[in-house]
Amino acid sequence: MVPNAIIETRGLSKIYGSGAQSTTALDSLNLQVNQGEIFGYLGPNGAGKTTTIRLLLDLIRPSAGAATIFGDDIRAKSVDIHRRIGFLPGELSLWEGRSGKQIINFVANVRGDADGILKQAEKIAERLELDTTKRVRDLSSGNKRKLGLVLALMHDPELLILDEPTNGLDPLVQQTFHEMMNEYRQRGKTVFLSSHVLSEVQAICDRVGILRDGDLKAVESVEGLTQVEFHHIEVSYREAVPPELRERLAGMPQVSDVAVHGRRLDLRLVGDFDPLLRELGAGYVELLRIEEPTLEDIFLAFYSDKEKV
Amino acid sequence: MIGSVFLETYRQTWKQMVYWGIGLAALGLLVVIMVPLFDMQQMRELLESFPPFILALVGVGEELEIFATNEGFVAIGFFGKSALIFAVYPVVMGMRITANDEDSGVMDAVLSLPLERGRVIIEKFLAYGVSIIGVVLLIYLGLHLGAVLGGVELDVARLAEVTFYLIPLMIFVMAATLFIGVLARRRQVALGLITAFVIVSYMLQTIGTAAEGTVAETIGIVSFLTYYNTGDLLNQGFNWTHIAGFTLLSAVLLLASMYRYQQRDIGI
Repeated sequence: MVPNAIIETRGLSKIYGSGAQSTTALDSLNLQVNQGEIFGYLGPNGAGKTTTIRLLLDLIRPSAGAATIFGDDIRAKSVDIHRRIGFLPGELSLWEGRSGKQIINFVANVRGDADGILKQAEKIAERLELDTTKRVRDLSSGNKRKLGLVLALMHDPELLILDEPTNGLDPLVQQTFHEMMNEYRQRGKTVFLSSHVLSEVQAICDRVGILRDGDLKAVESVEGLTQVEFHHIEVSYREAVPPELRERLAGMPQVSDVAVHGRRLDLRLVGDFDPLLRELGAGYVELLRIEEPTLEDIFLAFYSDKEKV
Repeated sequence: MIGSVFLETYRQTWKQMVYWGIGLAALGLLVVIMVPLFDMQQMRELLESFPPFILALVGVGEELEIFATNEGFVAIGFFGKSALIFAVYPVVMGMRITANDEDSGVMDAVLSLPLERGRVIIEKFLAYGVSIIGVVLLIYLGLHLGAVLGGVELDVARLAEVTFYLIPLMIFVMAATLFIGVLARRRQVALGLITAFVIVSYMLQTIGTAAEGTVAETIGIVSFLTYYNTGDLLNQGFNWTHIAGFTLLSAVLLLASMYRYQQRDIGI
């Protein structure tokens, strides 16, 4: 085992159902999340993100493979592991008739050291501007989410496992959440968060794993992933786009997504610029704009089968 | 902290315990208050005129003598007629142990805490068990109050036996509901199955009591309601063998539920 691995999975798989009706929700996942990093787990609905999280929490059992958290087996030591983690489910359900404060008290009692935890909960609730006196049934989805964050963070866990944490939060609270996560990381804690909000992942994560149909397609640093060799290029000509340029560009293997909008030409380039620049020089170029791909572009590239990034 | 699930469950339940207890106690109180309105000799003659099947429907077996007493009247009017109502409360509580929370997703939040699955089940079971005892105590108080208010002479000890015998019976129904909930996974399926179990048990007991000496009587022994015989209770007091049987079955169902819940996926 790598010394600073907080989460480590080896061939972790989950198959729902049996026989012809079976569905592979997660296929032989090999993943390592290190201490002090914020790891983003990306994928569309049904990709296997929540399945992974529920496996890590021992809510469901693997069909094959194994996983450790803090070096302990997730099944054999689940209670010990749960003492040291904070969890926010994707769809948080709590007892509707209880107030936020009552639920916080219950969780604090289960975790022990109730006084210390309750003080911390109060601080977090204040920071997120959450009224804990309201019953769960009277909370908006955003406020329910805030309560979930309080419950996940109030015992200052070593590892946070968050499933779509900012779903339903307004932009200001999202900003506060990002600040909290950065502070958390600075204190050497670890976060494993699933999301499909790419801007959020780009803003706070150190590394991301991209999951598709239960299969981990890539694990990269956010920085590394955005430095892939493709660019969006926009070329504006003084007059019309030179005739036959579009066809010539379409014939170049490193060029794709060619589109003409009046005097403007859009395309995507993989690799070196020189061959493209020679072709573009067929007309008078007024403006050449080159855009780095966003995480969203990279994400889409993984999910379209057009090209392997 | 040990007991935190128990306390939280009890906090969530005590109001319902009081509402159910008051409701059932009020029903019992009304039946007791009505006792002086009836002539027990006429009551006996009336009972003798009924076919066994009709008597079985209200929980009366062969021992007509005992039912022509004040306690017997209460046993028929309240305990006999309300057998199915007494099964509803433990079914509701049994569904809450795992099935409801699992169906709503609350169990994900609970089991992500440092809690063993078995501990969650046992603490919730105990809390709901205490609430059942609370309901039964309130019922007894209602009957007692009815006797005082109506000036009805009742054998308090016998009446207590008939009332408190409900506890092992209701705990057994709760354990059966828990077990079915753990096996069925889905709330609606579990509720359908336990409802079918209770109704079939009621029918088997009723038919078994009505058709003595037939196959129906033999089949009737599999119904748990067969072992809640108010006539026997009034005549002979507690049947400790039956109480031990209910307790043992409840324990077996509880342990089997804990074992199965430990093995399986949650919320799938």
